[in-house]
Amino acid sequence: MADTAQPKPMGAHTHDSATRRDFLQIAATAMTGIGAAIAAWPLIDSMNAARDTLAAGAPLDVDVSHLRPGQQIVVLWRSRPIFVVNRTPAELKTLQEQQVTSQLRDPGSETNQQPAYAKNWHRSIKPEYLVLVGICTHLGCIPNFTPEPGALFPAWPGGYFCPCHGSRYDLAGRVFSGVPAPYNLPVPPYNFVSDTVVRIGENPSGTTFDLNSVEQL
Amino acid sequence: MLKPVVALAGLALLALVAAPAAAQEAVPSQSWSFAGPFGTFDRASLQRGFQVYEEVCSHCHSMNLLHYGDLGPNGPGGGIGYTEEEVAAIAAQHQVTDGPNDEGQMYQRPGRPSDAFVRPFPNEKAARAALNGALPPDLSLIIKARADSSPVKDITGGADYVDALLQGFKQPPKGFKMSPNMNYNVYFPGDQIAMPQPLQGNDVKFADGTHATLPQEAHDVATFLSWASEPMMEERKRTGVKVLIFLLALTAVLYAAKRQIWAEIH
Amino acid sequence: MNAPATQGQSKLVRWIDHRLPIFTFMQHELHEYPTPRNLSYWWNFGSLSGIMLVIMMVTGIFLAMQYTPNVNLAFDSVERIMRDVNFGWLMRYIHMNGASFFFIVVYIHIFRGLYYGSYKEPRELLWMLGVIILLLMMATAFMGYVLPWGQMSFWGATVITNLFSAIPVIGGDIVAWLWGGFAVGNPTLNRFYSLHYLLPFVILGVVVLHLIALHQHGSNNPLGIDRKGPQDSIPFHPYYTIKDMFGLGVFLIIYCVFIFYLPNALGDTQNYVQANPLQTPPEIVPEWYFLPFYAILRSVPDILFIPAKLAGVLCLFGAIAVLFFLPWLDTSRVRSARFRPIYKWVFWLLVLDVLALGVVGAHRPEGWYIVIGRVATLYYFIHFIVLFPVIGWLERPLPLPTSISAAVTRRSGAGMAGATAPMEKH
Repeated sequence: MADTAQPKPMGAHTHDSATRRDFLQIAATAMTGIGAAIAAWPLIDSMNAARDTLAAGAPLDVDVSHLRPGQQIVVLWRSRPIFVVNRTPAELKTLQEQQVTSQLRDPGSETNQQPAYAKNWHRSIKPEYLVLVGICTHLGCIPNFTPEPGALFPAWPGGYFCPCHGSRYDLAGRVFSGVPAPYNLPVPPYNFVSDTVVRIGENPSGTTFDLNSVEQL
Repeated sequence: MLKPVVALAGLALLALVAAPAAAQEAVPSQSWSFAGPFGTFDRASLQRGFQVYEEVCSHCHSMNLLHYGDLGPNGPGGGIGYTEEEVAAIAAQHQVTDGPNDEGQMYQRPGRPSDAFVRPFPNEKAARAALNGALPPDLSLIIKARADSSPVKDITGGADYVDALLQGFKQPPKGFKMSPNMNYNVYFPGDQIAMPQPLQGNDVKFADGTHATLPQEAHDVATFLSWASEPMMEERKRTGVKVLIFLLALTAVLYAAKRQIWAEIH
Repeated sequence: MNAPATQGQSKLVRWIDHRLPIFTFMQHELHEYPTPRNLSYWWNFGSLSGIMLVIMMVTGIFLAMQYTPNVNLAFDSVERIMRDVNFGWLMRYIHMNGASFFFIVVYIHIFRGLYYGSYKEPRELLWMLGVIILLLMMATAFMGYVLPWGQMSFWGATVITNLFSAIPVIGGDIVAWLWGGFAVGNPTLNRFYSLHYLLPFVILGVVVLHLIALHQHGSNNPLGIDRKGPQDSIPFHPYYTIKDMFGLGVFLIIYCVFIFYLPNALGDTQNYVQANPLQTPPEIVPEWYFLPFYAILRSVPDILFIPAKLAGVLCLFGAIAVLFFLPWLDTSRVRSARFRPIYKWVFWLLVLDVLALGVVGAHRPEGWYIVIGRVATLYYFIHFIVLFPVIGWLERPLPLPTSISAAVTRRSGAGMAGATAPMEKH
């Protein structure tokens, strides 16, 4: 402590040299700080999804020509289960019945859980084909497809039942009131590239929708 | 007094180190558009080279590290200039094994951009069985793996080697004993290579109309393979310019600050 | 200067410092810390070494997020980093060239110590901790090189782990234990990955001890004489902080030239070929920083009843072990080679010798390389075991200056030279 030589007192410098020293030191410190930030960015960015991960998340084509009415298939897109259902006319009728809609928390799909082109009574582009992200909006389990009327209880219209905590959804993915799940099942971006091929992950031309914008995935 | 002597001795040692291993014939140096600190890949050449690979080399050589989508705008380094549609079309030309389907069977389907380049043989043994016991090496990194003719192991060394090799097939000199199923090549270590001459000239019809002479094909496929070995090369060199300019400026400022602060002491 | 370091600082600083005296610590050890005023740029290499350790650890941690330590996947995972991971190519080239540059700065740092007698009393433990750091670096670098699972990774691992089979009786069992199997394979790769991640933290711990030992008596200096008083020292901050920063800038420029324009110049092209246990590459060569040791290993013939393989292994470890004893092997009472006319000569001979060993290590052991390798290996040991003590006894050192400040003011042309003191005892 006491054995370092002290630099010459400040008064020995002209005012000019003092400000030049301040400028240099400020410039040196600032540039070093900027350099450190620039050096940190590649490390942080390397944790973002890599090119191959993004490529694997490219849109997925699903051929529904073999999907029978009343049947559901599940495909994986961006690591999430996607339900594709071919709904029967009878099932479509129940979606508009007051007996069903009165039990739903959000029958009109007001909460942002679907693209604009699926904000309708059947929550889809073509009424007979339903496309949903099969992740319960409560805590993320995969709900069971339970389309048979009366399966869970006599008045059950058909829909989904989540085994983890008992949440229920109808055959348009709309959540029932009084269950733990807060929102309707999300609808992903999708587009019919032909009458029988659905492309999951791509919006119809002229529309935009980002799945990450929904309230609860 | 002693230091210059030691320095000279050190330099002499360096010369010993830098001397390359004796080659049968020295690989001639070509000029490459991607050489030097400001080099870039010539996209027309890359596409012609890819065409040569697709139509000739891919029958024996895999490129397992490349995916069809890598050739397009979403590919590393921005690809080789194909559009997304062209890439999808290229991928769809190949049949890819996928599955198992709901019956538990593997099946074939047209390729997608996210698929890796289709392999000519399912495994090493199949390749050797088809090719007299020889195994054509995977070409994804061949340029980097053969870069020894460059003293700094730059990819231009590898490109020189591959370009020369493809044109290096000759008649063996009189009295030279050829092993069975081998071919004489003046640039291959040991002069005998299992690969028969793959290109003679006019092996492909280039989509852009360039004459497909042998030197042209060799040059273009070497360019494509160089890109495949290091698709991020251009971004690396571009970033280097910015980083070095910044560092030079920063070091200059630090030097001035150092002189300033130390002026009080001296 | 006896007031607490935090006097006049904010209340927050004083609150923290009262409970965990980190600010006092930094003020004392980094700010005021008395440093000889005459340090040359050869003293920058310690901080450069520390910075390289940090760079390697940071890039290593981010690379580890993307790497897969399985023999079927490792090579491809590295190429995925090069092609698909955002800035993966940059992290990989920084880490790859960083190994080389880490050794470059550490070797210069070591040779600085050899020239100026920084290993001599009272810095013996400081030096020995440094040798331990070097050993740990070598182990870390060796294991790290195996991870990409190229041809050199695999065959280098095979050759070096096989060394241990030279140990009589239990050698074979030790090697099998190291491998975790019948040869270098997946168990080997996995344990090397684990240890490669661990050892740098051990290095960090030893570096802390190294710095504590340093701060006990402070840095050596080009004159090799002790600081006598405040006129010989300057505070570390701002003088050496800015000098270290400037040195870092110059170093980074050279380092970045390699990263961005010569990224594979210091490596081996064979490592871009995936490991093939059934095909030995034409040459098995370690990375350049191991070449002198590799040369020593291969140079040693049968000695009496000791087979060449075991003798080579013993000499290899001996070459590093001898460094531990330098403080006692060197009998000179003068530290700095500046005042040791014979030792100065001989130091450069050592440099030449190590370079020669490096060249020998890069070539197949044939012809002239065998002779040069043996002579150079012999000289290496003679240099430390014979010449160090003998030169210390026989040499007449030049007269030392009275003090650092006297030498400095004399150098800056302040009139006639002051009287020099008789040779000082250390």
